[in-house]
Amino acid sequence: MKILLSWLKDYIDIDETPEKIAEALTMAGLEVEEIIEPGKNLQNIVVGKILSKDPHPNADKLTVCKVDINKGEPLQIVCGASNMKAGDKVPVATIGTKMPDGFMIAPAKIRSVESYGMMCSKKELGLAEDHSGLYILPEDSKVGEEIAKTLQLNEVIFDINITPDRGDALSHLGVARDLSAIFNLPLKRDTLGDASGEGNILDEVKIEIQNNELCPRYSARLIKDVQVGESPEWLKHRLTQVGLRPLNNIVDITNYIMYDIGHPMHAFDFDKISGNKIIVKAAKEGEKFTTLDGIERTLSNSMIVIADEQKTLALGGVMGGLESSVTEETKTVLLEGACFNEVAVRKTAKALSLPSDSSARFERGVNIDNTVISLNEAVKLMKSFCKCTPVQGIADAYNMPVPLRQIRVSVKNVNRLIGINLSAERIETYLLRLKLEISKDEDGLIVSVPPYRHDLQQEADIIEEVARIYGYDNIPETLPEIRTTVVPQEKDALLADKIKNYLVSCGFHETITYSFIPEKTPDCFLSKRPIAIKNALSEEMKLMRTNLVPSMFEAIKRNMLNDEKNLKFFEVGKAYLPSDSNQITEPLRLCIGLAGAKNHLNWKDSKSEYDFHDLKGLIENIGAICGVKFWITGGETASMYHPSKQAEIRAGKHVVGTFGVIHPSLITNKKVSKNILIAEIDLTAISKENPAKIKIKEISEFPSVDRDLAITVPDNIEHKDILKTLKADAGNLLETCDLFDVYSGKGIEPGHKSLAYSLRFRDKTKTLTDEAINPIMERIIKSLEQKYQAKLR
Amino acid sequence: MSDNKHELIVEFENDLQTVKDTAALENIRVKYLGKKGKVTEQLKNMKDLSPEERKTFGSVINKVKLEIQSKIDDLKSNLERKEQDEALRKDTIDTSLPGTFAELGTFHPVTLIAQRISELFIKLGYFITDGPEIEEEYYNFEALNVPAHHPARDMQDTFYLENGRLLRTQTSPMQIRVMETIKPPIKMITFGKVYRVDNDITHSPMFHQMEGLAVDKNVSMSDLKGTLGVFVKEIFGKIPYRFRASYFPFTEPSAEVDIQCIFCKGKGCNVCSNSGWIEILGCGMVNPKVFESVNYEPGKYTGLAFGLGIERIAMLAYGINDIRLLYNSDIRFLKQLQ
Repeated sequence: MKILLSWLKDYIDIDETPEKIAEALTMAGLEVEEIIEPGKNLQNIVVGKILSKDPHPNADKLTVCKVDINKGEPLQIVCGASNMKAGDKVPVATIGTKMPDGFMIAPAKIRSVESYGMMCSKKELGLAEDHSGLYILPEDSKVGEEIAKTLQLNEVIFDINITPDRGDALSHLGVARDLSAIFNLPLKRDTLGDASGEGNILDEVKIEIQNNELCPRYSARLIKDVQVGESPEWLKHRLTQVGLRPLNNIVDITNYIMYDIGHPMHAFDFDKISGNKIIVKAAKEGEKFTTLDGIERTLSNSMIVIADEQKTLALGGVMGGLESSVTEETKTVLLEGACFNEVAVRKTAKALSLPSDSSARFERGVNIDNTVISLNEAVKLMKSFCKCTPVQGIADAYNMPVPLRQIRVSVKNVNRLIGINLSAERIETYLLRLKLEISKDEDGLIVSVPPYRHDLQQEADIIEEVARIYGYDNIPETLPEIRTTVVPQEKDALLADKIKNYLVSCGFHETITYSFIPEKTPDCFLSKRPIAIKNALSEEMKLMRTNLVPSMFEAIKRNMLNDEKNLKFFEVGKAYLPSDSNQITEPLRLCIGLAGAKNHLNWKDSKSEYDFHDLKGLIENIGAICGVKFWITGGETASMYHPSKQAEIRAGKHVVGTFGVIHPSLITNKKVSKNILIAEIDLTAISKENPAKIKIKEISEFPSVDRDLAITVPDNIEHKDILKTLKADAGNLLETCDLFDVYSGKGIEPGHKSLAYSLRFRDKTKTLTDEAINPIMERIIKSLEQKYQAKLR
Repeated sequence: MSDNKHELIVEFENDLQTVKDTAALENIRVKYLGKKGKVTEQLKNMKDLSPEERKTFGSVINKVKLEIQSKIDDLKSNLERKEQDEALRKDTIDTSLPGTFAELGTFHPVTLIAQRISELFIKLGYFITDGPEIEEEYYNFEALNVPAHHPARDMQDTFYLENGRLLRTQTSPMQIRVMETIKPPIKMITFGKVYRVDNDITHSPMFHQMEGLAVDKNVSMSDLKGTLGVFVKEIFGKIPYRFRASYFPFTEPSAEVDIQCIFCKGKGCNVCSNSGWIEILGCGMVNPKVFESVNYEPGKYTGLAFGLGIERIAMLAYGINDIRLLYNSDIRFLKQLQ
């Protein structure tokens, strides 16, 4: 909200600099987001009177003017504009002026004619976009006066962010009240207007509130013989500066009162009202009504309407109706000062997308005493500058008086909560500065809350007031003395931390992607029907992901399209899984993406593409980091993966993840490699598995016997079966058996592959001899030959 | 005779002057100490002497032998070192070639900041916990003193789900969930994703918050201020900061913490809207109405709470000017965090 320093000065004599005032307000919770000083950039620009205008001797489009600025000889100025004539008053930037855009005005020779200044357009002054010609000033402008003064631009405007609790501060009076408390300065207030006038309003207007919940109070005044016209300059100026558009004196006055004391008002053309009864009630469901802006709206029965006996006149607290609005023809005005239900106004403004200055104030709560005060103040203003005959008295329906709220405050609690040590007297002083009434008894203070402070509901709220005035700056800094309660961190989060460290060490980059996936995500990525967002930002962000794979796939694709060659990513995040009973689980998942060239741009090591077994090795290490033994078995179940290049990861009895090469049919762009590897592991599931126990085996002191075994087998024979047979035949003298080479191609029968194993035998009790090992090797070879058509190489 | 021995040393030393490498030195050694060397010859000659002379002569010639041996040894080790040095100097590589060990990866900036903050609070004795992102309206709003149709709801535009729940707009529901589970003393932090209907270069529909809560019988605003002072120093170093009044429905009194603008050092610039300050977090004393929601005995406890946006701090710390960079997994961005 924009607040003018000059307007604040109606209420408080404050001499502090704008910066100091802004800082004080900000520190006390009225955050000044910006100090706007429209006249600040216009120093040395003055009103000049054009004495003569002659053609430029060397240029058709230029003129040479003599301009009086009431200082020494008239200035000779060369000018490119043509909309001025001798006798016009225009803004003149004198030598040494720094223009709002930073340009410095210096003596110049323009096509060999000397020029000592610049006459300005609105655009050059930074006031408007209008660059069609010079800014011709009003005739009564004072020659030589600073333009900022002439145009009333020497204003300081504070743009304040008022928090939702401080409806009371949505006005100049409200802000002045806080300033008065902060700087301990008296709050000035003119004598309030009264209800005097001719006749008696009660003879002409009746008010009926049908629902006191929706409208606790409705007050009105009648003003006759009104001449609708323009408002005086000072009022238009103030409204413009706070960002409102002046309309006519009646509407302007209601707006002015709203920014002045914070009470939204409405003005009706009384002659458009049938009968003499104003009825406040709930709208009829489905009722049609055309608001001030000319739009027909459909109302619901939770909305408040102001009506006469025949028709709806206004949407209470939100917007008036077109039909009963004040126009130039209006002669009799009915002014409304009311208090509407906060929730009803908010719902109406939301439902009709009609937030207004008025609804913003009613939503936050207004001062119920101000219904009458605002009416009298408006009439006082009206009388001061427009012809009118107010009718004496106020039609006031106030069926549900609001009880006075009193809050008990103990000195001990104030000091306990803030962490300071103030006396009862100091606390009282601060609260009095905020215009809160205090009484005392043996237990402490009793604070009576004024009707505009809806935010003060409980002791803590009063303590905040004390802290604000004491100054948050003055509160000391301490650390809480609290015993530590040990609550172990969720195990899946702990695993995630360990794995992240490992993967980063291995060269992986951590990503974070949106939890949303597109509505059109291919089915193969969806493990369950995802939960949809009602008010999604777009179709691309419509569903909550059930796994992280589609997001990882997208991340890899995007980078490949950027010609990135070596991609190692991981993400730790939640999946969102609905269950039958409308319960939702959010398991923590680890997703790994691997694609492109291993050792890409490494000048020494050999280059190759990442493959299934690279990822498999990584996953086995992750199992070890989690302290869980992973069983990895080939599978064919996940349709997002290549049917024969995928596997399941089991821990204990549960499948805890899958990985594989992304199904080639999902990759359509030629720039994207068909070899994208992705794994997803459920850390929450792993965290529930019992960790594998480590038991150290004794180390034998006797030497080992090492044997290599190279065989060829048909392609369809798997390593795991060979290993099983080999171990069974080798017996317990076999210490380790490692596969160290796999080869097919030249020298190997087509449809076959060569496997080479390194076997290490050792006995715990004696040195092994060749004689002991030879029969074992023979047994192994024989078995492999029989079972797998293996041939020794 | 003593002259004769002396001469041998003199001759040896003269010879030694000419030695440039270990091979030449070996020749000198052979010349004096070899089987037919001059010293060896002298020793052989002793057998012709009388026992008396042999004794005197022997002791002299042995001294000469030892002296020569020692000088040869010294020079030999010097020369060897020099020769090895020369050989190594010739065995060159281009040390400016890039290193070839597997490159390091990177943590996401959000993780980096969250780790720094959580490490600090864990040192201060806080425990860390985690909770659901799909939340019930009650935990996200009502229990935190934000009734339906309250203007405070405008502070956070909410995503609603088709199953009647919502995406949490803040990590504060964890205050309720933790206090429902355990009684004070509590010192808790929580970290996670939150969601708001917002999407531009400084706002993302998904972002991360860190929330802290400390509740006991006498926790005060000065404790809050001190705690956040430690936080600011840890994350931003020695930098002016301020603690100013604000409003959050679930804290009373409420405050916001600003640090001096790190771009203009407080002079005023575009980033700080000329104020010289940048807001980094919201905080306050737990509103008694929140204690009411979790059925704590009225008036028994006080508590401090704070919440901050991790992205905002990451953007300040690393000079990131578009929040969307944080979520589009661009390796050219991520690699810079090494």
